[in-house]
Amino acid sequence: MTVLVQILLSALFMGSLYAMMAVGLALVWTTIGVFNFCHGVFMTLGAYVAWQFVSPDAFGLPMAVSLPLSMLVVAAFGFLLQAAVVRPFIGRGDVVLVAVITTLAASSALENGTQLVWGPRPLGLPALIEGNVDFHGIGISLHQVAIIVITPIILGAVWLFLNRMRLGLALRAVAQNEDACHLVGINVTALYALAFGLAAALAALAGVFFGGFKFMSPQMGTEPLSKALVVVIFGGVANISGPIMAAYIIALFEAISTYVIGFYWTPALLFAVLIAVLMVKPEGLFSGRTRGLA
Amino acid sequence: MSFLRELGLMAAGLVVLAVLPAVIHDVYLRHLLIMVYVYGVVASSWDLSLGYGGIFNFGHLALFGVGLYAYGMLTKLLGLDPWLALLASGAAAALAAAIMAGPILRLKGIYIVLVSFAFSQLVLQLIISESDYTGGNSGLVRIPALAIPGHNMVRDAKLGYYYIALGLLGASTLCLRLFVRAPIGRSAIALRDNEEYAVSRGISLARQRLITLCMSAVFTGMAGGFYGGYFRNASTDVFGIGLTTLLLSMVLLGGRATIYGALLASFLLTFLAEAIADLGAWRPIIIGVLIILVMLVYPGGLHAALQAGVQRVGTLGRRRTRPLL
Repeated sequence: MTVLVQILLSALFMGSLYAMMAVGLALVWTTIGVFNFCHGVFMTLGAYVAWQFVSPDAFGLPMAVSLPLSMLVVAAFGFLLQAAVVRPFIGRGDVVLVAVITTLAASSALENGTQLVWGPRPLGLPALIEGNVDFHGIGISLHQVAIIVITPIILGAVWLFLNRMRLGLALRAVAQNEDACHLVGINVTALYALAFGLAAALAALAGVFFGGFKFMSPQMGTEPLSKALVVVIFGGVANISGPIMAAYIIALFEAISTYVIGFYWTPALLFAVLIAVLMVKPEGLFSGRTRGLA
Repeated sequence: MSFLRELGLMAAGLVVLAVLPAVIHDVYLRHLLIMVYVYGVVASSWDLSLGYGGIFNFGHLALFGVGLYAYGMLTKLLGLDPWLALLASGAAAALAAAIMAGPILRLKGIYIVLVSFAFSQLVLQLIISESDYTGGNSGLVRIPALAIPGHNMVRDAKLGYYYIALGLLGASTLCLRLFVRAPIGRSAIALRDNEEYAVSRGISLARQRLITLCMSAVFTGMAGGFYGGYFRNASTDVFGIGLTTLLLSMVLLGGRATIYGALLASFLLTFLAEAIADLGAWRPIIIGVLIILVMLVYPGGLHAALQAGVQRVGTLGRRRTRPLL
């Protein structure tokens, strides 16, 4: 029983973090049609900018103010970045490949920029809520509980935005048929910027989540990015719920596999399953045949 | 350019590089040139699958890693002769490429990027988890070095390794150029440019992809084996995103589907990275910004920029024909 609860809690917690990262990645992929390798660095930046606002060594603002500020700053940053390294290549035949190399180059530059500004020593963010609770004999920090609760709310809001609001619907329209969007007068360029900014803000939030229970380092975004990649491939991007479901499934798979066959073999098994899924259903487990969103 | 003339230029280039150590006595400078040759082999092989084949193979550095670990494990654990192991590392990488080709034969575009990326992560995880054989996270150390009978590889100011690396580069460049000129390479290009038409003309997509990937793996794996014999250790660092970015930028900066462009870019980037080595964290920033700028200004890469330059010099002095109107 204790083991079961432990596995479930771990799956919920890690699943929340994966989902938060993967949704932004999927958003950019579907809207702009490029893969954003800067997404991990957005997460890192989110954590560091929040640290800058909240830390008593820096500005010393309360967390409730710092968190939205950090998301705003990183969103603005994401907007600027896509204007510099993605938008100029849109419309070129090899945009997919060129965007891979430019976002990779930008992420390497930004990662080292982070190191220059905040230094290589690990920093820590305060938890969202301090303290621990005892749950069926298992101690879990309130920070983790908060993440498990907040993430579905945020993701639900994103879902509502994409399904019920004009702006969100326009975003999906761009994902489905760009030429038609131009025809009916939707500002496609502005929506590209919006998709990138929104994705960056979500990544920043994930960064604050991470920074609250692990030490931050300039390289902290690399591993979550590769996990989010796996999640997005696994779930497909045709539907915003695809990557979200996939995030929780993969986290559950990891938790079980770590318990049964051990920590070292889990990633290998995960990738083997992923390759198998792609061979059978390359567009992802939860999607139809088209490139779309929500 | 006729092929004979190209062969002549290639031979001339090799001769120039071969006499270079007579002028360059500095051991460190020779080391840099060795790295240029190793990166050149890997980048130009990548150009074969990426530029000519149009296969967005993101696991290319994993093939390099397979070669590196194959060399390390064969020489260290089985005591195989280093030269045989160098050949075997090429074969091992080709085998790995064939395994990787399996899942991506029927995929397209970005999915190939993702699967090959997943494949490289899988190889990395296997290496980490099989630490009894591979040394896991701490890597393999004290790998047997390559040896030339009657020649001291340690006290020759890196002359031995310089010529082995140069030989590898020459063999690789020759084979790659021959491959892309042969019917088999032509049909790979045809598939890249118009898949439906090429398939309808009877070219097998799956077979071509398999052959192209294996061909691009052979010298990459041998370069990995050489890397292991040269540094005498193997670590999982070669799977890192940093090395992949560096080599991918060599391919793209040099200009895709040229082979020579990648060699030129590996020369420039290796020396540039070295020239600004003492700038610390600024170095990746400068290189990153530079890559973005070149992609913005010269979409065809350095090779295209160079060709445009040569053409401009060629037409200097001639009277410009004025356009009508």
